Amino acid sequence: MMAQGLYKEKLLEHYKHPRNRCDGPIQGADAIERGSNPRCGDEVEVGIFLNDGRLDKLQFRGRGCAVCIASASMMTEAVAGMGVRQALLLCDEMHVWFGDLDHACTSGLPEGLQPLAVLREHPARQKCVLLSWEALAQAISGTTDR
Amino acid sequence: MSLALQSTGGHKVIDPGLVRRDFPIFTTAGLHPKLHYLDNAATTHKPSCVIEALTRSYAQYYGPVHRGLYPLAEQATINFENARRTLQQFIGATSPGELVFTKSATEAINMVAVGWLQSRLNSGDVVWVSRMEHHSNYLPWQRVCKERQAELRVIELTEDGQLDINGTPGLFADSTKFIAVSHVSNVLGIENPVAALCSTAREHGIPVLIDAAQSVSHLSLNVAEMGCDFLAFSAHKMFGPTGIGLLYGREERLSGMEPLLVGGGMVDRVGEASVASQWAGIPSRFEAGSPDMPGAVAFAAAADYLVSLDRDSVRLHIASLTQLAAEGLMAIPGISLLPHAGLPRSGIVSFTHRELHPHDMAQVAGESGVAIRAGHHCAQPLLNHLGLAATARASFSVYNDKADVEALIEAIQSAHEMFSG
Repeated sequence: MMAQGLYKEKLLEHYKHPRNRCDGPIQGADAIERGSNPRCGDEVEVGIFLNDGRLDKLQFRGRGCAVCIASASMMTEAVAGMGVRQALLLCDEMHVWFGDLDHACTSGLPEGLQPLAVLREHPARQKCVLLSWEALAQAISGTTDR
Repeated sequence: MSLALQSTGGHKVIDPGLVRRDFPIFTTAGLHPKLHYLDNAATTHKPSCVIEALTRSYAQYYGPVHRGLYPLAEQATINFENARRTLQQFIGATSPGELVFTKSATEAINMVAVGWLQSRLNSGDVVWVSRMEHHSNYLPWQRVCKERQAELRVIELTEDGQLDINGTPGLFADSTKFIAVSHVSNVLGIENPVAALCSTAREHGIPVLIDAAQSVSHLSLNVAEMGCDFLAFSAHKMFGPTGIGLLYGREERLSGMEPLLVGGGMVDRVGEASVASQWAGIPSRFEAGSPDMPGAVAFAAAADYLVSLDRDSVRLHIASLTQLAAEGLMAIPGISLLPHAGLPRSGIVSFTHRELHPHDMAQVAGESGVAIRAGHHCAQPLLNHLGLAATARASFSVYNDKADVEALIEAIQSAHEMFSG
């Protein structure tokens, strides 16, 4: 079956083979936060591993639709290695890109997140894209507030 | 008799191809060429006669209702009250005064919960709803119970999704002050035995409200045969306009109900002191503000349209498509039907896939032109009980045909192949 519409090959590939996904509890993370969407039952937990002010590694676990899982998977790859401020900035930009449809374009999206760009045309799926990003922002904020 | 009805072997049969000609959304060239609309439980499309009734009311007969002494205003009033009479006949009510125009079924139910039940409910009293209720027939009762320190209890379902009336001790006890149930579940498509329920409740002096939002488009409604005290439904799920609904209440019940809104048109005499003000009679006292005359006229046109299609033929047509869809979906690996396969369903099939999220099934279907719903369908108490967060739901109407069902099956099969493995 060929991928069609918003389910491009790359998005489907992340859904079927998610990166940095844990089957059990996330172990040893510096902070873990959860995002949930009671409307569809999606739940994602994001754990961050810090090293000298940088996000050394991210892991996630949870259940959700293909968009939710693929977005979380892409996020763990795109954000790894970033400084915490840069990662928080990207979380904010994701909200602007997917929450503000009048915003010019998604050309500023990092390469690894480009398969998500098509989701801007589907505002009903906005929450699916952003769930893991919201959890990430909370996790980072939790560590910097300490 | 509508042209869309064909006589076959002495039976009248719906011809969906001819029905679709009545609906501009399907016939306007190039507009939605591949639309397979299977989200009729959310809202239905509108036939030309309804759209024309609406525009004619604005273009030719528009004026204030119950407020003017000139011919145009009188015509507007006559058209508004004729619409009420048409709907009275449509549901078999005794008098037009038993019908209150509301903005939705939701508003109608809230009116009864707050305007009728609240002042009669005391600490320790019980109100019953069923496990399968839409939030609109759950939250108003939950709130009024909280307000009055009363208890909201739930009639659970059998494994077949039926109301477990026999397994609900205390349902007709003295402490029960009200029962509110849906005629047809918007998730399961199960039709409830509302006449039997109302009959037993009446023997015990317990008023019953029936939420008919999901049944009105394809089951005959007759409040006298049903024996309910209150009934609520909206126009937009039965080919009528959005923004108008109906509350039926037996005359003696409505007479004892307080209006939620006060203002113009619902009062006979306004005194300086509030005690000197006197509400108008029923149903006017529940229709404060300028009424939606064009909406009411188009609502009545929708009822006439349904009657012209012959309600038994409508029911049989929809039942046969629903059955076909249920069988086709069950043949797809990983698919389960709610509550399980093999049950008679009234126009609705809810389903889940072992691995696929309902959102993904609905998205893939949508990209093939098949419009279905995915989510909790405003029935979280039911879905929580079933241990589910969401389902996909296909719902059928008079304009659907076998090609729509085939497109649904093909789309869900595609989703299965796309995401599995």
